[in-house]
Amino acid sequence: MKYEVFARINQGDEIKHIGNVTAKSDKLAKMYAYNTFDEEDWDMLAVVREDDYLQVSNDPKPTVGVSTNE
Amino acid sequence: MSEWPEPAVDYVQAITDTKLVLGHRYAQWALSGPSLEDDIGGASAAQEEIGHVRQLASKLEAQGRDLEWTKGQRDPDEFANAACLDRIDGDWTEYVASIAPADRAAWYLLDAIDRDDLEGLITKMGEDEYFHLEYHDARLETLAEEDPGTVQATLERTLPQALAFIGPASYDESEDPLYEAGFTDRPISEIRTAFIDHYRELFAETDVSLEDVDWDAPADDWNETRRRTGTDAITANDVKQLRGERNAEFALS
Repeated sequence: MKYEVFARINQGDEIKHIGNVTAKSDKLAKMYAYNTFDEEDWDMLAVVREDDYLQVSNDPKPTVGVSTNE
Repeated sequence: MSEWPEPAVDYVQAITDTKLVLGHRYAQWALSGPSLEDDIGGASAAQEEIGHVRQLASKLEAQGRDLEWTKGQRDPDEFANAACLDRIDGDWTEYVASIAPADRAAWYLLDAIDRDDLEGLITKMGEDEYFHLEYHDARLETLAEEDPGTVQATLERTLPQALAFIGPASYDESEDPLYEAGFTDRPISEIRTAFIDHYRELFAETDVSLEDVDWDAPADDWNETRRRTGTDAITANDVKQLRGERNAEFALS
């Protein structure tokens, strides 16, 4: 399964997307992220399953039908 | 630095030797993992183990142990590493099921040390070891699904070897010399129980059965200095590589 990796360097910083890992379990994904993205002393490092993304956009923009024949 | 009680130098030497050989095995297998992330993790763990060795070696030197001897100027049968690291034949599954018990056993022995002069060092090592051990467990869980037969067969050999490294069950509150001397805060029997419980729980819901593991190891001929039974050892070639002789020409003068 693919996991997206997020991190911030200091408390109060914006959390940024820094990459992704592919792993066979949540536990393994956390370890992969820790080892692979160790270039900073992160205040927070987290992984999110790709399946847990709730997509808001990226499809054609939703529109509300408006009649012009009133 | 204050002097440690008599058997403590051998105890710390065995932990150090296990980390030295462990770092070597991590490095040897660091390009053999099933994914880039596994290789990165192995390479990272190798560096951390060798860092631990350097710190522990200086503590041993302060207790009178020759630094060059600790770094590898000795015969293979003078190394006191966990026996499951002597050689790792087979594939990556066998590698993981060999290093994981050794790394966990070494950490449990280290964590039991109750000394002010080692406290900060052990705390830092524990931060590294948390991720080593979590990674091993995560990997063993996935391998237990993919190849339970190999995991089981390997653990039937390596878990008793790791238990021999921890020490005999008879070393309880009244018999463990290091606990009695106050060098450790828990006896070997307690460390063994924690170790055994961990692996039983880890594989409880998997197809890996630990029914045939010899949980009573080591047998009566346990060698307290080398923390094992028998006379096996790492190979002479391992020692040569640990000394770095072949790479001496690249060393900075």
